[in-house]
Amino acid sequence: MKNVLILAGLLLVSSLAVFGQGYDAMPADAHVIPIGVDGTAYADLELGVQGGTLNIANIEDPKAWNNHTAHETSTTWFTYRMHKGLVALDHITGAIVPDFAKSYEISEDGLVLTFHLREGIKWSDGTPLTADDVLFTYNDVVLNEDVDCNSRDGQLLPDGTYPICEKVDDYTVTFTLSTIFRPILNSIGVNIMPKHKLAQYVHKLNPDVPAGTFNETWTLETPLDELVGNGPWIVTDYQVNVSVTMERNPYYYGYDPAGTQLPYYDKIVSHIVANQDVSMLKFRNGEVDVYGLRPEDIPILLPESASKDFSVMITDLATYGTTWFLINQDVGLADGTDDEKRELYRTVEFREALAHLIDKDTMIQNVLNGLGAPQWGPLSVPSPFYAGRDYYGGPITETDAVIFEYDPALAASKLDDLGVVDADGDGWRDLPSGAPLTIELNTNDNTLRVGYCLILQDDFRAVDLNCNFQVVDFNTLVGQLFSSTGDLIYLGLTGGDEPNSGSNVYNSCGSLHAYRYSACEDPDEVDLRIDELLGLGANTFDLDEAFEYYKEYQQLLAHQLGYVYTVLRTFQYAHYNYVGNAQAASPISTPGGNNGLLTELCFDRRI
Amino acid sequence: MLTYILRRTLYMIPLLLIVSLISFSLIHLMPGDYMTTARLNPQITEETFRAQVARYGLDRPFIIQYWFWLKNVVRGDFGKSFDTRMGVFKTLFFGNRLLWTIILASTTLVLTWLLAIPIGIYSATHQYKPSDHVVTFLGFLGLSIPNFFFALVLLWLLVVVFRVGDHGLGVGGLLDGRFYDASMSWAKFCNYLWHLWPAWLVLGTGGMAGLIRLMRGNLLDTLQLPYVQTARSKGLTERVVIYKHAVRNAINPLVTVLGLTLPTLVGGSVITAIVLNLPTVGRAFFSALQRQDNPVIMGALLFFSLFLLIGNLIADFLLAWVDPRIRYN
Repeated sequence: MKNVLILAGLLLVSSLAVFGQGYDAMPADAHVIPIGVDGTAYADLELGVQGGTLNIANIEDPKAWNNHTAHETSTTWFTYRMHKGLVALDHITGAIVPDFAKSYEISEDGLVLTFHLREGIKWSDGTPLTADDVLFTYNDVVLNEDVDCNSRDGQLLPDGTYPICEKVDDYTVTFTLSTIFRPILNSIGVNIMPKHKLAQYVHKLNPDVPAGTFNETWTLETPLDELVGNGPWIVTDYQVNVSVTMERNPYYYGYDPAGTQLPYYDKIVSHIVANQDVSMLKFRNGEVDVYGLRPEDIPILLPESASKDFSVMITDLATYGTTWFLINQDVGLADGTDDEKRELYRTVEFREALAHLIDKDTMIQNVLNGLGAPQWGPLSVPSPFYAGRDYYGGPITETDAVIFEYDPALAASKLDDLGVVDADGDGWRDLPSGAPLTIELNTNDNTLRVGYCLILQDDFRAVDLNCNFQVVDFNTLVGQLFSSTGDLIYLGLTGGDEPNSGSNVYNSCGSLHAYRYSACEDPDEVDLRIDELLGLGANTFDLDEAFEYYKEYQQLLAHQLGYVYTVLRTFQYAHYNYVGNAQAASPISTPGGNNGLLTELCFDRRI
Repeated sequence: MLTYILRRTLYMIPLLLIVSLISFSLIHLMPGDYMTTARLNPQITEETFRAQVARYGLDRPFIIQYWFWLKNVVRGDFGKSFDTRMGVFKTLFFGNRLLWTIILASTTLVLTWLLAIPIGIYSATHQYKPSDHVVTFLGFLGLSIPNFFFALVLLWLLVVVFRVGDHGLGVGGLLDGRFYDASMSWAKFCNYLWHLWPAWLVLGTGGMAGLIRLMRGNLLDTLQLPYVQTARSKGLTERVVIYKHAVRNAINPLVTVLGLTLPTLVGGSVITAIVLNLPTVGRAFFSALQRQDNPVIMGALLFFSLFLLIGNLIADFLLAWVDPRIRYN
């Protein structure tokens, strides 16, 4: 019995050592989220109480616990919840707001960014968090060539240098830029890592460990009590292929206006499931509380919602990213074939004719069960820079949208004008010279994309364009894209709020400028103006000014029809009614996403 | 016998070498590689992309990649997973994956045999009677339904038709959430059983039909032999004739099957394990295949091949053991 008591005592002490007890009182510099405060975006939410477990489902296992060397969202879903950066994205306004920094300012010349950190905040193990941790993260991890870090590219300034990060005092850091570069605000908020835990694994700081050690630090075999973070959640249990449990960080700096520490939930359990079908079964079985659903799930879930006491939330918010087909204007260039076809694809009137043939309504109705929205531009709709808004962050009015209406008759007459008519009487339109024209349309094995392509093929054939649609392996498709060997390729790209992150795609020399790589050597006027606008938008901290540049940029790209945009899914989810404040879920930050301020902070378990 | 085993073990080396070369070529023939998805990420610059490709050695010609891999393997270094940055076998066996694979495989094996042998005997002794047909039909049904489909249908039945969630029971995985941090108890043990029976059912029905047919056929053959007639004419009861004399001989060839079943149980449960959310080595292999994590794919293929060869060896060895007429010299 005595041994049992000693063991229990030891366990208690060790669990306190790992988890600490939290703050004695709400820190003066706490980040107060204005839940229920009138006049804020959080006005409709209600104050909650602490307790309970939130159950969600993820499709894949995490691959490691190291935020900065992670390559995939199955890992960052967890690390973004353990670590937070200086600034974050407000999920409702889309604006950059202070997160771990309580405020920041930009010098008059726009070259020095000063961040004021929250004072008195601690890591989850109780160690104080100071400017040294920020410097360590930025200088010794992110910018360290020895670390295989994806966020380093985002720090690159147009002149090829990186910002210089310096400490002013324990709670102030500055970033000095060589040139004004507004998008740096999006990427500078890298998640802060604990120096006291990780400095020993950085070769530069500890020559005793071999180069590259940091890349193999905080892997899955690291004992979980080694993981220390400043975010709302800390991983405390991992059952391989089954589940990951995260518990509240007792030292998280987020509070509600009543002084209750966030998150309200004590635990979040992510069940790892094989696919969306199993995920939905688990939701219907009551094992998962919130589920980001697919259009095809709605007819099954709606009838069940009353008897099982859950809500199906249908929103008209378009999700992030773009869906398009590209018309390869370099087709046959590499091997000197298809000259006439290439010439035709380079004619903007021909691309306009194809754009008028996209029956977006049918795509939305048939493929997305009506739960989609047409897309016309290169930037994600939720972005505050989206050109369908009237001003930066303004409401979406689509006043200046560039839209090619579905109009087969107009398309046919445009084709006739170009001389693309049926010359040999076989029922298909031919090239102006009379040679047969076959449009090869390819996509990968993705149910939605295949559905879109089948409709597209019908639309093309309806005006006698011979379109040959084929599903090919994803990697083969990517190969076609990069080698310019495809014809029409249907794919999508992920997207964010920052227009400049598309520069790799739309800059004439960008590595994803896949509709015409030759534009790098031989840009036309539009290409040059697009390059110029990208530069101008990035070179000012005045958001309204940047908005005007990006608006013109989006309109130009829409007219240029390199990537021809189609339709997007809108954001739908279902939640059991015992999850309070679940209406705060958004496509940016749901239990399914991991950007910015996490809406699950405001969720609570209702009795 | 010892020299025989030694010789067979030595034969494995060139076999594994050939297997590794073929596997490596097949992996190389798949379009794209580990870095292909990264190319579509607009945030990653061309320079970073190239640096990563070089870091993983994916820019080298196939034969050079193979040579480097082989050189390291001979030294006992199977490389590190691109994804987890842990050793290949650590990645494959991480968490109790190896243990769970063995538990799942062995319990399924035992259950299958415990059911299939009596059913086979029953089937043989009731040849062409309606009950024989029923048993055979059910066996074939189990064999012909694809495992992943059976598993999905089973989950659907549990959730939608039987509504097990109303009784607080989960589907898939090893345990319900409330038992994750509970210490071992009778209730927890029962919860494990609740989560394992669908796997036994799905995997077991798949393997049972063949075994039933084999047992049935063997026993029918044996029952025709003169010594069975002698036993009968001596006035022994039918029970003694069948169980003491006929079954013991009829079961001998099945021992070979036992050795050969082991590798299929380890590698063959991949899809079922994915649908039912069970932590097995096969699942880690599948995930590596999807991500084109070459070192892990190679490690897993070698592991499975080794298992297959050992299974064969065990089968031969067992056969010699149970049948004194067989000698390998």
